[in-house]
Amino acid sequence: MIQQFENTYDVTVIGGGPAGLAAAVSAWEVGAKTLLVEREEKLGGILKQCIHDGFGLLMFKQKLTGPEYAQYYIEMLKNTDVNITCSTFVTDINRQDDGIFHLILVTHHGIKHIYTKAIVLATGCRERSAKQIFIHGTRPAGILTAGTAQYYVNILGQMPVKKCVILGSGDIGLIMARRLTLEGAEVEGVYEAKKELGGLLRNYSQCLMDFNIPLHTQTTVTRVFGEKRVSAVEVCSVDENMSRINGSERIIECDSLILSVGLIPENELAEKMNITLDAETKGPAADQCYQTKKDGIFVCGNAFHVNDLVDYVSSGARIAGKCAAKYKKRERRLIPVIHDEKFAYCVPQLIDIDSDQKKADIYFRTKQKEEDKHVTVTSGDNILIAKKYIEMRPSELEHIQIDIDKIEYGNDKIHVKMGKVE
Amino acid sequence: MDLIHKLNKKLDKMFNGSVNAKEENGCVILTGSLNSWDDIVKAGYLAVNKKKYLGVINDIEYTKEPVPGMRLPDLEDKQYDNVKCDVAIIGAGIIGCAIARELARFDLDILLIDKEHDVGMHASSRNDGEIHPGVDLIKGQVKQKYNARGNALYDEISKEMDFKFYRPGQYLCFTKKYMKIICNIARLYWKVMKVPTRYLNKEKLQKRIEGISDDMECAVFFPTAGIVCPYEVTIAYAENACDNKVKLALDTAVTDMEVLDNRILSLNTNRGTIYPKLVINAAGVYADKIAQIANDRFYTIHARKGTNAIFDKKTVKKNRFIVSAFGMSAVKTAHSKGGGILTTADDNMLIGPDAKETFDREDFSTEDINIDQIIQKHKKTLPGLKKSDIIAYYSGIRAATYEEDFVITEGKNTKNIIHVAGIQSPGLTAAPAIAKDVSLTVKKMLSEIMEVKPNADFNPNRKAIPDLARMDEEERDRLIKQNPDYGVIVCRCEEISLGQIKQALSRSVPCDTLDGVKRRVRAGMGRCQGGFCGPLVLKTISKIKNIDYEYVAKKDSQSRILFGKTKKHDTAV
Repeated sequence: MIQQFENTYDVTVIGGGPAGLAAAVSAWEVGAKTLLVEREEKLGGILKQCIHDGFGLLMFKQKLTGPEYAQYYIEMLKNTDVNITCSTFVTDINRQDDGIFHLILVTHHGIKHIYTKAIVLATGCRERSAKQIFIHGTRPAGILTAGTAQYYVNILGQMPVKKCVILGSGDIGLIMARRLTLEGAEVEGVYEAKKELGGLLRNYSQCLMDFNIPLHTQTTVTRVFGEKRVSAVEVCSVDENMSRINGSERIIECDSLILSVGLIPENELAEKMNITLDAETKGPAADQCYQTKKDGIFVCGNAFHVNDLVDYVSSGARIAGKCAAKYKKRERRLIPVIHDEKFAYCVPQLIDIDSDQKKADIYFRTKQKEEDKHVTVTSGDNILIAKKYIEMRPSELEHIQIDIDKIEYGNDKIHVKMGKVE
Repeated sequence: MDLIHKLNKKLDKMFNGSVNAKEENGCVILTGSLNSWDDIVKAGYLAVNKKKYLGVINDIEYTKEPVPGMRLPDLEDKQYDNVKCDVAIIGAGIIGCAIARELARFDLDILLIDKEHDVGMHASSRNDGEIHPGVDLIKGQVKQKYNARGNALYDEISKEMDFKFYRPGQYLCFTKKYMKIICNIARLYWKVMKVPTRYLNKEKLQKRIEGISDDMECAVFFPTAGIVCPYEVTIAYAENACDNKVKLALDTAVTDMEVLDNRILSLNTNRGTIYPKLVINAAGVYADKIAQIANDRFYTIHARKGTNAIFDKKTVKKNRFIVSAFGMSAVKTAHSKGGGILTTADDNMLIGPDAKETFDREDFSTEDINIDQIIQKHKKTLPGLKKSDIIAYYSGIRAATYEEDFVITEGKNTKNIIHVAGIQSPGLTAAPAIAKDVSLTVKKMLSEIMEVKPNADFNPNRKAIPDLARMDEEERDRLIKQNPDYGVIVCRCEEISLGQIKQALSRSVPCDTLDGVKRRVRAGMGRCQGGFCGPLVLKTISKIKNIDYEYVAKKDSQSRILFGKTKKHDTAV
């Protein structure tokens, strides 16, 4: 593991979280001269603050904590000659006429320039803020996202709440409900505006049910009180269109409001390079090699789409790193992957049929809970794969694999469909 | 029939005898009680007669709900007890800070007092930052005079005090072609008012404002309209004042005064009794309360709330602009232009504000309906605006008088006070000019009792905290090599370095809170709203100020972020 860098690379990976770590290792394995750029002081990304277990069940067949999972990859990196630069911030990326990317980096040694043949964007995601979901009322201390609360508790060893209400039932919110309870705080309840739980079922059972923390679905926070510190919040039932049901308001005294209301892929760099973001995933569209529509720019992990298991992030990122290492400019024949209305999204959005990446993992989420359904992937009349699902939930990412060789180029679309099991 | 009699007849008719008017010391005084705040405000306006009276004192009691009083700091100490000064300025908003800085040109002991933990915490931080060209002002108004002079001063003071200032100009758009006639008549008026204008046809307008609605047929362009970041200007003034020996008393609320023989002897505060020779009342929404305890009340402040929304940087257009549409009356009231759309000094799009009367002078809360209204309204001008691109919103309170004009005058009863009150829009524009005039009035008044010498050491220049993300590469590289902390990015959304945050914590105006850092260097102003950088800024404050994490606050000591170490709770089984 080399904590320095030169100025030309085959592959530059931006982001040293689980996606970036896996991408850098696999790019190096294929023989690419690789640079890994991380803006924080240490590698590991958000895993550093995820001290609960449950990571690595698919990848390592064991239950690891976040830091342990990250350490597996950091150890792998130590046996490579991937160059690593932490506390380094990419301010700009330009593509030169010869196709080489020129990156401008801010480091504590000054401004650095590097040149690279391919880029892997592994910049992760950020949490939706209180303002983005239009929390109104006063603006006191004590309104924070679940991830920020997690940083305070797990990294700083400090309590950000004594009695709190959690809005949103995303995984970090559920995990923080348990974490704060274990630290002696009172979690009054978890409130979810939607009908369905936002996080994984296993987190609901292990984090809420085991600690007698109530989950109130179809209920949201409508107002914050308190001028200096939160003194109370108003919660209110909402109907299926998210409109409030008048008369159902209830005031809860508390000192904090924790938000776990969704994650948004961070793609400021992609946008700087004029890569348009997919309206469904909020990340760039990519093919099965994780290459975006712009040649030489790859994307993986939560910057591509928000995953619910780090294991998926790592396995996708390995492919992204490998393909970035083998990147050569050529014409790509890209076939769009489209899906039924019932899916929230499917990735990848494109299939490059000339690629030597002959297997493609199609990941998808449903919009609503679905039971006893077939998911079929077709190319023209050709059924590439069909699989039966007893249950699919919006919060749980599913995936099936298709064989690229079965696709005929003449068919202009690959279609992911859902049907009833007869 | 005399005026008061006439007024009482009108009030009787309107409010069934619940309100009574009388004349006292040249003012109209309204008393009685009503259970509608809007009615109380209506009665106040009804009593206005600028030619005959000094002002309206509206003492009608609001009976529907309790009216919250002034929020006071929780601090009690003797920090400023027995402090004697030549001038005490009450209120460290843009007006108080600008006056302090102009007064620092004289060799005087100046104490700038504010009840908040930082300067510019009320209206000065809570407006849109427009430097107005004077579109809707009328000859004879105090605010008209100061607006014109203040606007012209911004080029100079922005250079002296190193703050961002742009003159993108303002576009007033019209939806009908025949309005060209109205445009041209109005332009004659503005010509008389010495407000430069230009006529723009549809084609030119569309070229200048990317994404403007096709409904906009023509526009009048006001080239002198400008943009600043309002708290940046306030902090710049305050820092330059403090660099020039002005003393700053924060967390200090003036709650009473000792007044004898028409002179203020002392100010009672939560931090001791202060003895000034002269008092400047720049207390914003509480200026009439200060006037009252100074025995010199002749106007009333009524709070008028406005809400602004800020959009993600990625929605910003190539050209800067300030744009509004003529006659869009969705939320327009008689006393507000109804807001507009502009590019802030920090390259975000901003919309707002609306206007709503409120009985609580510190009601900074927001409502969804305000956001919906302003976005619906401004969509007619820029159809591309999307609610989902909003990253922040906030409310501010205008300190309006019923006369709807600035009150800038020496005391009427009390001899050693100057009122600088009723400063609402365009107060930010007018501030530099007001400050210059008030400082000369102070000199004149103090010269009667002491010798006022110029301050030979006065330095009008102040250097801003370097804004590395906006620098060219060479300059940025040079600075990082001097101070490696400039190369460590803490706030990823706004690209703010550790070095800038450390700078913010060690300037002449003290800063030790997350909001303080945010307003000085923008860490936490971006799309993640401090989710990532908040804890890092907290750590930096703790380290630099040598205070435990749990004592680091959002805005003041009552708004702490943390409750102390984990596992310190009683875990007895």
